[in-house]
Amino acid sequence: MEAADEWLLQSLRLYRDLHTFELQAPTRLIEWARGDRRVGWAGGKPSPCSWLFMPTHQGVCVAGYGQSDGNEILQLIPPPTLLTKETQGLCPERDFKVECGGFSERPVYSLKYVPDTSLLVTSGPPDSSLQVWQVSAEDSDVIKSISTIATENGTGQSWAKIDTISARAPWVLHGSRLDRIQITEVESRKNVYTAGIQAPQGSEELSSLAFLDCSLLLLCSATGRLCLADTRQPQGLTEAVPVPSAPSSERWCMGTRHAAQGSQPSSQPVARLSSRGLLALTDLRKTSEFLAVAKARVPSSGSGAEFLCVSWAPALEGYLAVSGFDGTVHVYDTQSWDSSGREAEPIFVHKGHTFGGAGGSRDPPLVTVHTWHLQKPRTLLSAASDGSLHVWDWVQPCGKCG
Amino acid sequence: MPEIKVTPLGAGQDVGRSCILVSIAGKNVMLDCGMHMGYNDDRRFPDFSYITQNGRLTDFLDCVIISHFHLDHCGALPYFSEMVGYDGPIYMTHPTKAICPILLEDYRKITVDKKGETNFFTSQMIKDCMKKVVAVHLHQTVQVDEELEIKAYYAGHVLGAAMFQIKVGCESVVYTGDYNMTPDRHLGAAWLDKCRPDLLITESTYATTIRDSKRCRERDFLKKVHETVERGGKVLIPVFALGRAQELCILLETFWERMNLKAPIYFSTGLTEKANHYYKLFITWTNQKIRKTFVQRNMFEFKHIKAFDRAFADNPGPMVVFATPGMLHAGQSLQIFRKWAGNEKNMVIMPGYCVQGTVGHKILSGQRKLEMEGRQILEVKMQVEYMSFSAHADAKGIMQLIRQAEPRNVLLVHGEAKKMEFLKQKIEQEFHVSCFMPANGETTTILTNPCIPVDISLGLLKRETAIGAAPDAKRPRLMHGTLLMKDNSFRLVSPEQALKELGLAEHQLRFTCRVHIQDPRKEHETVLRVYNHLKGVLKDYSVQHLPDGSITVESILIQATAHSEDQGTKVLLVSWTYQDEELGSYLTSLLKKGLPQSAP
Repeated sequence: MEAADEWLLQSLRLYRDLHTFELQAPTRLIEWARGDRRVGWAGGKPSPCSWLFMPTHQGVCVAGYGQSDGNEILQLIPPPTLLTKETQGLCPERDFKVECGGFSERPVYSLKYVPDTSLLVTSGPPDSSLQVWQVSAEDSDVIKSISTIATENGTGQSWAKIDTISARAPWVLHGSRLDRIQITEVESRKNVYTAGIQAPQGSEELSSLAFLDCSLLLLCSATGRLCLADTRQPQGLTEAVPVPSAPSSERWCMGTRHAAQGSQPSSQPVARLSSRGLLALTDLRKTSEFLAVAKARVPSSGSGAEFLCVSWAPALEGYLAVSGFDGTVHVYDTQSWDSSGREAEPIFVHKGHTFGGAGGSRDPPLVTVHTWHLQKPRTLLSAASDGSLHVWDWVQPCGKCG
Repeated sequence: MPEIKVTPLGAGQDVGRSCILVSIAGKNVMLDCGMHMGYNDDRRFPDFSYITQNGRLTDFLDCVIISHFHLDHCGALPYFSEMVGYDGPIYMTHPTKAICPILLEDYRKITVDKKGETNFFTSQMIKDCMKKVVAVHLHQTVQVDEELEIKAYYAGHVLGAAMFQIKVGCESVVYTGDYNMTPDRHLGAAWLDKCRPDLLITESTYATTIRDSKRCRERDFLKKVHETVERGGKVLIPVFALGRAQELCILLETFWERMNLKAPIYFSTGLTEKANHYYKLFITWTNQKIRKTFVQRNMFEFKHIKAFDRAFADNPGPMVVFATPGMLHAGQSLQIFRKWAGNEKNMVIMPGYCVQGTVGHKILSGQRKLEMEGRQILEVKMQVEYMSFSAHADAKGIMQLIRQAEPRNVLLVHGEAKKMEFLKQKIEQEFHVSCFMPANGETTTILTNPCIPVDISLGLLKRETAIGAAPDAKRPRLMHGTLLMKDNSFRLVSPEQALKELGLAEHQLRFTCRVHIQDPRKEHETVLRVYNHLKGVLKDYSVQHLPDGSITVESILIQATAHSEDQGTKVLLVSWTYQDEELGSYLTSLLKKGLPQSAP
């Protein structure tokens, strides 16, 4: 208990605000229930992709991924301190409230809200099919399973990675390998687009995928290969950026940043993180070279790449966060990076999860996921394998980091 | 079917007061008698007309149980017992009995003296009400009457809070009141044994909360105090004598020591005496740590915390003061508040809920200009903070408690049914029990399946053991006996013993059936044919041919006579006792089919 008490005392100067929660079951996803309200369109021709959105927070979603049946999906209302941009003076409530919940028969590895609808999509082992759920917070607090989007399950298919968009219709982009990705209409379950890369690269497992906008897709394979696709072109997937280093047993994942209003989606740098701690930043308009490469200061032992996570700060230019190596979350300022690949100094390290409540003899907890608050610039949420969920607002150190 | 009925009293969906009526096996119990703190009129009292319809409360209710001293659980008790009228027993734990009247009197003073209300109970009524109280110890089985018994369990939450088990025969209900499952600095965690009640009644309001850890709340408190003291400000913490004050003191003392801080911390003397007094009385109710500290030294002997003198309030520089009363409605804390309110460097941290009408409640609602005595206006420039340290169970805690107690049914009060469906499903799925969520004023009926214990006589037991394998607790076995109900006991005895005890004579029933067979031979030849036939067919039975010409199959007797009018027909008389009915009728139908044609 000593070390934990010590950290808590230090936290008084390290964080502006700090909340620690214990979920009944650990989660490996934290999704903002982003109720983007359409409020108009941003200049120029009104096309579906230039709507002006005002992001409003309705809550945060977490879900269980354990082996047993009955994994819970929980939509939580954050404490009032998190819902507003400024920290209010008098906020007695520091708790999350469970707004609604559902039960999933399979572990939930990935979850995405379908914008402009009351639906969400989940995926998880044992196959690459997707489950569609209805959230109807008005008349009941149960998240109901309404349909399944089946996929052809070839051999060696693991669970599907997903992303959603509501452009012409609510769509979900999904796939588990580079040889077959699809866009399916969520409500009708009709397939609207399919693409894939031929063998041998096609058999590579996908580690993440994203809609850059309603027609541009970005995929990242576990080997670090980045592929782009334009749904309007017939060619399908094109390899944009090869693997950043000599292929080894490293696994890679990517983090993309949502474009600010009016700017091109491909102007945002894409970050790729390897299980060895290598961070490669790429500008999609100039894929022949790296924007920057650095090495995160993470333990070299590498506890596997199951929970690798890298994400860009939505409100701080050039900042990104990295987790999945141990019980910490690192925040880096990439603006000073070059392409040398040398070790970078984190601006801040959140160590809270290492002082796991259960303590002692068991394996130290591993951070499973982290996400940034959409408006409060230095606030992050992180979850670990012991069921802990932290919300923290770190203090920008003026000189070197602590 | 036997049933348990539960009715939460109150109007509509409002949360904020606890008062639940339970009917179990013909007994009626009221659980808690809380005041609704949000109303100023009669809506603050529970709606007792639901019960009084049935006549006098004292006749109808067998007892009233109060779980702890918070006003939303006991605030309406004097009104109920003295103004509506109830003279039966009121059960609560010893600390609750000691603290309740203090809080009730405080509350009465605020409501009547400060706000000038008239329809309210008097000081004398509080005293008269407390005379009806019977104090109980933890885990002590208390016989309310011959059939109804209650038992209190530790609930944590506040000093003296208890969960109660109400038992009549084999049916039982457990009411949790407010509780928490994680121990804190001065109280332990709630605990229930595997009592397997038919019904567990608990609050739903906290079930959908995921609580921020205690340590982060404490951190927030320390941060606020530290920041104020760093900028030279003064921190006022109004507290009630018991509970959080000790915790916060311990917390600050540790922090001051660790950070080597110099600003003085004071607590008012009234606080010390009262707190010490109560802690001495109820030392077993606190957790291990406090008990150890108390044994080693005086509860309030801190290195950095000193006794307060009212003159100190005017000293320059930073300081922290703990003062009573907790809602800033009178006394020392209000005095200090008036002195410090005008300086924006200062801070007041309210550690609990404040009743309407108090200064505490006003400033928490955002009022910054207060009217004091003599029409003086006080401008509040100091920072106002509210810390919620109350220890309540959350969703995880409720699941833990259900797991400990293993109830057959769960009932959640004070929730909106629509908003509780997820929790209901969760409980039903995980524990395979039914989960009920009545609205206020709605009665829920839970069917129970009580086991009726029956004593079995030794003779019968021995006899059954002799027949087959030894009795196995895991395998049900069918056996025959006679159930005797005498007075209030049930016994299973052999029929012979039952007859003896009841003084009845045993009657034997014997059946005789005539079967006609075509057989022209002599009788003894027919008998032989029958004998051989039966011997061949009934290989597992004992078939005997007796010297007197009759055949026995087990205990069934068969005799053959000639038909009086027809020589070609023989009449077989088959005779059996009631016990051999089955075999008897089988034999009869077998014989009716006729004998085989082959030569004997």
